[in-house]
Amino acid sequence: MTQRPTSRAELQDLLRSRRHPRVRLLGSGSRPAMVRRVPSDATFVSLAAMDRIERLEPGDLTCSVQPGVLRHELDLELRRHGLELPCAGTGTIGGLFAADDIGPLAPGAPAPRNLLLGLEGVLADGTPFKSGARVVKSVAGFDVHKLFVGSQGRLFAATLLHLKLRPLPRASCAFGVRNLSLADALAKFAGLRQEPAGVHQVTLLRDAAGACMLAGRLGGRASHLAALRTRFSLAESADAGPLQLHAEAGHELITGIVCCSRLNGLLADLPAAAPFLMHGGGRFWTVLPTPQVAPLLSRMPTHDAHAVAVSAADSPGTALDPGAATLTTAIRHALDPRGVLA
Amino acid sequence: MFAPMPALERRLTDLLGAARVITARDALLAWECDGFTVHRALPRAVVLPESTAEVQAIVQLLHGENVPFVPRGAGTCLSGGPTPSVPAVVIELARMKRVLHVSPDDLLAVVQPGVVNLDLTLAVQHLGLHYAPDPSSQSVCTIGGNLAENSGGPHCFKYGMTTDHMLGAVVVLPDGSLARLGQNAGPRAPHALDLPGVFCGSEGTFGIATEIMVRLSRDQESVRTLLAAFATMTAACRTVGDIVAAGLVPAALEILDQATIRAVEASVYRAGYPEDAAAVLLVEIDGPRQVVDEEAAEIRGLFLARSPLRIEEASTPAERKRLWKGRKGAFGAMGRLNTDLYVLDGVVPRTRLVEALDRIHAIAERHGVLLTNVFHAGDGNLHPNISYDGRDAAQTARTVAAGREILQVCLDLGGSITGEHGIGSEKLDYMALMYDPTDLEVMARVRTAFNPSGLCNPGKVLPTRNACAEVAKWPKMVERVLDDHQRRGGDR
Ligand SMILES: Cc1cc2nc3c(=O)[nH]c(=O)nc-3n(C[C@H](O)[C@H](O)[C@H](O)COP(=O)(O)OP(=O)(O)OC[C@H]3O[C@@H](n4cnc5c(N)ncnc54)[C@H](O)[C@@H]3O)c2cc1C
Repeated sequence: MTQRPTSRAELQDLLRSRRHPRVRLLGSGSRPAMVRRVPSDATFVSLAAMDRIERLEPGDLTCSVQPGVLRHELDLELRRHGLELPCAGTGTIGGLFAADDIGPLAPGAPAPRNLLLGLEGVLADGTPFKSGARVVKSVAGFDVHKLFVGSQGRLFAATLLHLKLRPLPRASCAFGVRNLSLADALAKFAGLRQEPAGVHQVTLLRDAAGACMLAGRLGGRASHLAALRTRFSLAESADAGPLQLHAEAGHELITGIVCCSRLNGLLADLPAAAPFLMHGGGRFWTVLPTPQVAPLLSRMPTHDAHAVAVSAADSPGTALDPGAATLTTAIRHALDPRGVLA
Repeated sequence: MFAPMPALERRLTDLLGAARVITARDALLAWECDGFTVHRALPRAVVLPESTAEVQAIVQLLHGENVPFVPRGAGTCLSGGPTPSVPAVVIELARMKRVLHVSPDDLLAVVQPGVVNLDLTLAVQHLGLHYAPDPSSQSVCTIGGNLAENSGGPHCFKYGMTTDHMLGAVVVLPDGSLARLGQNAGPRAPHALDLPGVFCGSEGTFGIATEIMVRLSRDQESVRTLLAAFATMTAACRTVGDIVAAGLVPAALEILDQATIRAVEASVYRAGYPEDAAAVLLVEIDGPRQVVDEEAAEIRGLFLARSPLRIEEASTPAERKRLWKGRKGAFGAMGRLNTDLYVLDGVVPRTRLVEALDRIHAIAERHGVLLTNVFHAGDGNLHPNISYDGRDAAQTARTVAAGREILQVCLDLGGSITGEHGIGSEKLDYMALMYDPTDLEVMARVRTAFNPSGLCNPGKVLPTRNACAEVAKWPKMVERVLDDHQRRGGDR
């Protein structure tokens, strides 16, 4: 059974009086992000019913939303005010920030970690707390809220997220360039990554047959977008949103981060038939037959890359630096000493 | 004054050689404070390591001896961060100033912590790159200090704070072990926590960064600076609102008030600002040339709608430098106003700027203190500055009391007690104004995960329980300042 608190107070009560030793936090539950095995002694708590936009200050370019607010509903509201939340992701806002499973779409483009100004949260034992602020700039105290991004709901629950917004660009358009050789695709990808303005998203895709394409989105003044399209020979196309790869049976979806300068080496290390997708901000995905996953993950450090199998339950991923791993354990223990959040 | 420490000194000298271990009282005076001069304390010793291995060896030794230590960069902090709160060894990183690696393809650099902020940009400018965070102290402050403070600067409105440009760091943890937080490819691997995110802004209390990976930015094709002088501060602030409401995102939006303009114009930082103006607004835009032309025309239109006294526009580096000279030199110019300067740092929502400034002026008047304002208007990040004579205890007390009320105004309006200068020792007692005890407890738990012994820069950022209880009655800082004053015989 899934419990659905409608307020922070209800969530606190629920955590304090829970009968199950473990809790799995969910947004809408739709996210196919990293699959973690659900312990048999766990109960589900969905924050989808906490779905109010509590505050929207267009003049300050900030808003405060509950975790269950759906991304597309927030987008609609923001668009009415000429604003956007300039990062990719779907589902609930809480789920989007807790998963952070897309990363920046271009170098320097904002990702969830750049947009979360602060939050109100509840620890696994029901203790309420806040971190950060709701103004665009604050360095008061430690940025505990930064730990929420990508925490997969395993450190604490966020019950109100303070977000930084951006004005909608004056003009924007999607582009797509198909049937490129790998060399051409890499060159164009690198060139677009180096553009100081206007490239909001650039994505490289190599399909299982080895054909390459580039897709993305430009944003800014119409005059500049036209100049970029001409310079890079970019054909306008329908905006498909961030592209995604999916794993068939017997295969695993891998995601990781790699530097652009190491991309050639990484691609050469992948089986030729492995589809590959990478955003300009450094996040990549590939799909491999299950037996090839562990060997590839173990070779990631040779490419200065770090990756994890998304679809394999509790995949350990590339080994973290030992010092960072110790800190991670210490932080988890500090915030959830009983390991309640599974 | 301090317990003799010959044994420790000997062991530190064994590690670094005598020239890089400072214990003589006179010499230590140079490390007595940072830019927040009301908090002064001599360190037990200062050590000057030159490598990660040396930092590690020092920290292992101090950890083993249970001796507190404080990392320090250039000492430009304005909240007492690198000044010891207890007798401690200061570990100054300024000698670790090598740019270790630059990758233009990856838009990143790996640097030692003592690299001066501006030097990094100078080192990569031939590649058409720069390091975006630009605190006004950028010609002196270090990347290590910037990381620890999560520093901002005039250009954060568009480009963000230090945390937005940080990919990772090699950190000597307070027990002497090493951790690599983040990596060149990004601050967070998909299956990792954002450790660089939480380390950034930890004010030297989570460990010592000895190698820092930062994101570089491509230079824009064109940069233009526009100045508008207004007869009222309200008109200047409203123009900022107009610019944001028009959907424009300038690189910088800065305001100087009349008292600052006059101080600047009477100083070597003279920039030709009109002294009859109540406020000068500086707007910097950057991007492709045609975009800059279009945006400049739009901004001029917004200026005109608010009846400015004067508009200026600068496109060449020399002209732009002149317009910025007064802004960049503002703090220096204030040195003329009195012997001491208390640089406050608070944030309000941008839409509340006018109201905040009105209330701040009323506070200054009530306390009879001399106030100047120069601020990052785009971010609502105020820097009310109080010029005072630190030799005069009553003036000092009035200054600190006015400062506290000003920060309370920031909080009342939904803001923060610091936008970029940090808590350090200066604002310890104000943390309880912004955060509840459970908020502080959660922060303390995270600090303990990094710094279980508490030896790394103790007495910073988080108040003790007693201080929390005290704050409602009377700011402890006033007491500290007055005690300090008395101890030094009312003179320095
Ligand atoms: C005139 C003037 C203008 C300023 N303008 C701005 C501005 O526009 N924006 C802004 O944000 N700040 C500004 N500042 C404040 C200050 O310059 C910044 O906080 C700066 O980042 C401090 O750097 P530093 O090298 O001087 O560090 P320090 O002052 O030496 O230390 C700052 C803190 O960092 C810690 N630390 C230093 N190095 C390390 C390290 N390697 N590892 C871990 N911890 C470390 C110290 O313990 C201390 O807590 C200004 C200061 C002055 C004097």
